[in-house]
Amino acid sequence: MAFPLVKMVNISKSFGTVQALNQVDFEVDYKEVMGLVGDNGAGKSTLIKILTGVFQPDSGEIFFEGKKVRIRSPKEARELGIETVYQDLALLPLMSLARNFFLGKEPVKRLGPVKILDCQKMKEITSQVLQDLQISIRSPEEPIAILSGGERQSVAIGRALYFGAKLLILDEPTSALSVRETNRVLDYILASKEKGLSIIFITHNISHVYSVADRITILDRGKRVAQFYKNEVSVEEVIGFIRFGYKGAE
Amino acid sequence: MNKKWIGRNKFGRKPEFGALVAFLTIGVGFSLAAKGFFSLATLASVLTVVAELGIVTLGISILMITGEFDLSVGSNLAISSIVAGRLLQQGLIDIIAIPIALLFGTSLGIINGLIVVKTNIPSFIATLGTMMFWRGIILALTGGHPTIPYFGHSLIFQILNSRTILDFRTSAFWFVGLCLIAHGVISRTAYGNWVYAIGGNREIAYTLGLPVNKVRLFNFAFCGMMAALAGLMQLARFQSVDALRGQGLELEAIAASVIGGVSLRGGLGSVYGAILGVLIVGLVRTGLLMAKAPPYWYQAFVGLILIIAMIVNRRIQASQQ
Repeated sequence: MAFPLVKMVNISKSFGTVQALNQVDFEVDYKEVMGLVGDNGAGKSTLIKILTGVFQPDSGEIFFEGKKVRIRSPKEARELGIETVYQDLALLPLMSLARNFFLGKEPVKRLGPVKILDCQKMKEITSQVLQDLQISIRSPEEPIAILSGGERQSVAIGRALYFGAKLLILDEPTSALSVRETNRVLDYILASKEKGLSIIFITHNISHVYSVADRITILDRGKRVAQFYKNEVSVEEVIGFIRFGYKGAE
Repeated sequence: MNKKWIGRNKFGRKPEFGALVAFLTIGVGFSLAAKGFFSLATLASVLTVVAELGIVTLGISILMITGEFDLSVGSNLAISSIVAGRLLQQGLIDIIAIPIALLFGTSLGIINGLIVVKTNIPSFIATLGTMMFWRGIILALTGGHPTIPYFGHSLIFQILNSRTILDFRTSAFWFVGLCLIAHGVISRTAYGNWVYAIGGNREIAYTLGLPVNKVRLFNFAFCGMMAALAGLMQLARFQSVDALRGQGLELEAIAASVIGGVSLRGGLGSVYGAILGVLIVGLVRTGLLMAKAPPYWYQAFVGLILIIAMIVNRRIQASQQ
């Protein structure tokens, strides 16, 4: 059997006496949009933060591209090609677009013994990417604060794509957006998949995830209660799973 | 300079712009109020104050942009100079004694950083603690004994802080050099970018893979080193150090940073803004002396400017959103 892009096996994690995850299995295939849904406290964030190196699992194994990996920090996750766009934690509002875009992966040029920022390159690429995303700005030196919520999500996704992400994790990307902006972000998700990326789409909103996901995993109180291909179930059945933990609630 | 121009121009929307206006206003004010204020001699005496306070402020302002405080710089400055003074008194050669004192100050900064990073105590509290602790140690060790003199001849002290032409002191050149380096690092390197990001939001910085704690620790160390350096410069200038040296300095340096547009919440500010802030403070100190005002007015004046600067900066920030 071919290995999926990501395979998390038997992941458990406790915080003090609270068991946040209990022997959870999770996987994402190549070029697949995986929806990760569940109520508050289901363990979605914990699972993702383990995959992105923010938390270490108490037990369990992670395989990326078929190789067993230990992801000890977000830096290591980014080096593997896992880019995450957190709901409120994607961009720094006070910093400029260009500086945000390259944060942690700044291009530098040598000036004698010192390395200085290649500001020209930063501005050019940021402008180009924003243009591709159809976001019009006056200058890449404007602060992020001038962008709308949807534009910020788009910039964060655009950044992930630019830096060659293999796996894109979107944490509630549509929760604070207008209907039009939501559609735009959903379009990006599908476009990114076309480009060959795998995407984990974490959300509360079943109809959003249902419209773009190939597969859906449902967590409930730290356990995986279901995982199925979208065409196997209806929206109502998914909602039933989240509310009652089993299929087809009466 | 009408409102439109300020609104359109990028610099006009920065807090540093307010500091520049304040600097010019105060400069012109004192030039009118005090005879002979507008002269090279005044500049030299302003720079004498500014260089020492400025080097401390440089360390503090970069730390503040990182989102941290160091209230222990005054105590650090004192204890580092006492270490230098005592070692020199014992007959240790200056080329060894002075670097030891500098490293000592740096390690106090590292201790602050380790406390903050490892225990997650807010740096305001942690360094309030170390400020009191080190001051207490100084008083205990010296028994409050008034001064530790050092009249020996030291080439290093001459290089650090001695008179040159027109009463300009070497400390001023050190200050200018350090400012240029600090400004370059903060505004033109990846490291500087990380400093702003960490000060803006530590969690975002971490999730983007930045070495958050290393940067914080390094900036604490830098701040400690700058405090010790300023202390050594004062030791060179006064040829003595006493147990109360540097008291209140931390607040003066923070005030200067804030006047220059450095945010108390981190993530905002600049080296050149902090320099403007220090220049304003230095101008006020020298100007009041030359206008023959009683020295008490200095604190009152700086306090007033601090509050006005804060109000103006808030307005400027609010107009951006």
